[in-house]
Amino acid sequence: MKIAVMQFPGTNCEYETLTAVKTVGMDGELFRWNRPAEELGSFDGFVIPGGFSYQDRVRAGAIAAKEPVMDALREEASKGRPIIGICNGFQILVESGLLPGTGKIDMALAQNVMIREGKIVRRGYYCDWINLRHDALPRRCSGSFLIDRDALLQMPIAHGEGNLVTADSSLIKKLNDEDQVVFRYCDDHGRTVDEFPVNVNGSTESIAAICNPEGNVLGMMPHPERAFFAWQMPSYDPRKHKPDAHGPGRQVFESMKRYIEVNA
Amino acid sequence: MKINLRVGLIIPDAEAATVKITLLRRLGYQGTLVDVRKERLFSIEVEDGEDPAQLAQKFAKELVNENKESYKASFNELKFEKGYIPVKVGLHIEDGEAISTRDRLRNRLGFKNVLGVEKATIWKLYLKGENQKGLARDIAEKLLINPHKDSYEILG
Repeated sequence: MKIAVMQFPGTNCEYETLTAVKTVGMDGELFRWNRPAEELGSFDGFVIPGGFSYQDRVRAGAIAAKEPVMDALREEASKGRPIIGICNGFQILVESGLLPGTGKIDMALAQNVMIREGKIVRRGYYCDWINLRHDALPRRCSGSFLIDRDALLQMPIAHGEGNLVTADSSLIKKLNDEDQVVFRYCDDHGRTVDEFPVNVNGSTESIAAICNPEGNVLGMMPHPERAFFAWQMPSYDPRKHKPDAHGPGRQVFESMKRYIEVNA
Repeated sequence: MKINLRVGLIIPDAEAATVKITLLRRLGYQGTLVDVRKERLFSIEVEDGEDPAQLAQKFAKELVNENKESYKASFNELKFEKGYIPVKVGLHIEDGEAISTRDRLRNRLGFKNVLGVEKATIWKLYLKGENQKGLARDIAEKLLINPHKDSYEILG
């Protein structure tokens, strides 16, 4: 089971992501953007990691989305192969039309706007540990295949543009109706609160991750590879000090592995 | 009255170069695109009264880094040189940076006469051949904007 961890100029989470892929028992290798795109056909799945591809020039993900490797990934997605985009990877998937999955740009990940009590209290880049609620059914999506509905996971976010907006008034209803909303930002009890700091970036309906209609392509703003090992957890989390514990982000990579096994 | 500051880099502009290379190598504009340059645009709405040229200089002192940038000021109307198609790209959702700039100018830097600030990027597309405005529109929609947050205007 071979996974390509995509590397664009400016990607900066590829090594942690590759470690996560390998630790759950998949083979993985870094795949540079300028390798012949047709070589992607020999892989079983793909991860587009976080970072700042092309320094976020024009807007986050816009330039990487035009690379030939993205045409090849579109082809692989149409065959049902799993693709997980994390943070900047999510932004690239949106700009390339792979998410929400109609082939055109149906939404934007705009600058974060943090709102509390009706007032904007902060804008732009923000990093923190956040709570996520898994809103999809298990087996709905490649990257959350093994995760129960309503399960709570803690992961870090680190981005300036993760605020899901759309000019298409029917899109959010469609995402909800078709179970394409995979994760939402929530509080410690799993409740969504449409205010900072629970809705950490002002995203519409607190959406943190979505999948395509087929479920094989997942885009998420939080970083599962940074919550993969228990020792990566924040100091207040009791799992940090348990040598045998796993971080919650591991479930995303284990899900991908299981999705490939089941769909092989 | 509106004071327009067009701010451009005097050092190489990596973002403009990336846009040019992407248009040439990835989006098929080899025969029509000659060059791409870029400017930041601040359109500052102020109360009438103070000399606009002096006011523009004062704003530029705060908004332009002369070590790497230069600026051109115009008043009310935006004016452009010949030889390129200017494409103005701005947010149609709330522009937090423009609001912050307005608040900083008014509340921290003492420009009490500032009524509003609009920010945009001016992409200067040097094109050849016919229907250059149509080409510019095409380029804007294929690369320069995401219609869910940005809008554009072909100027000039």
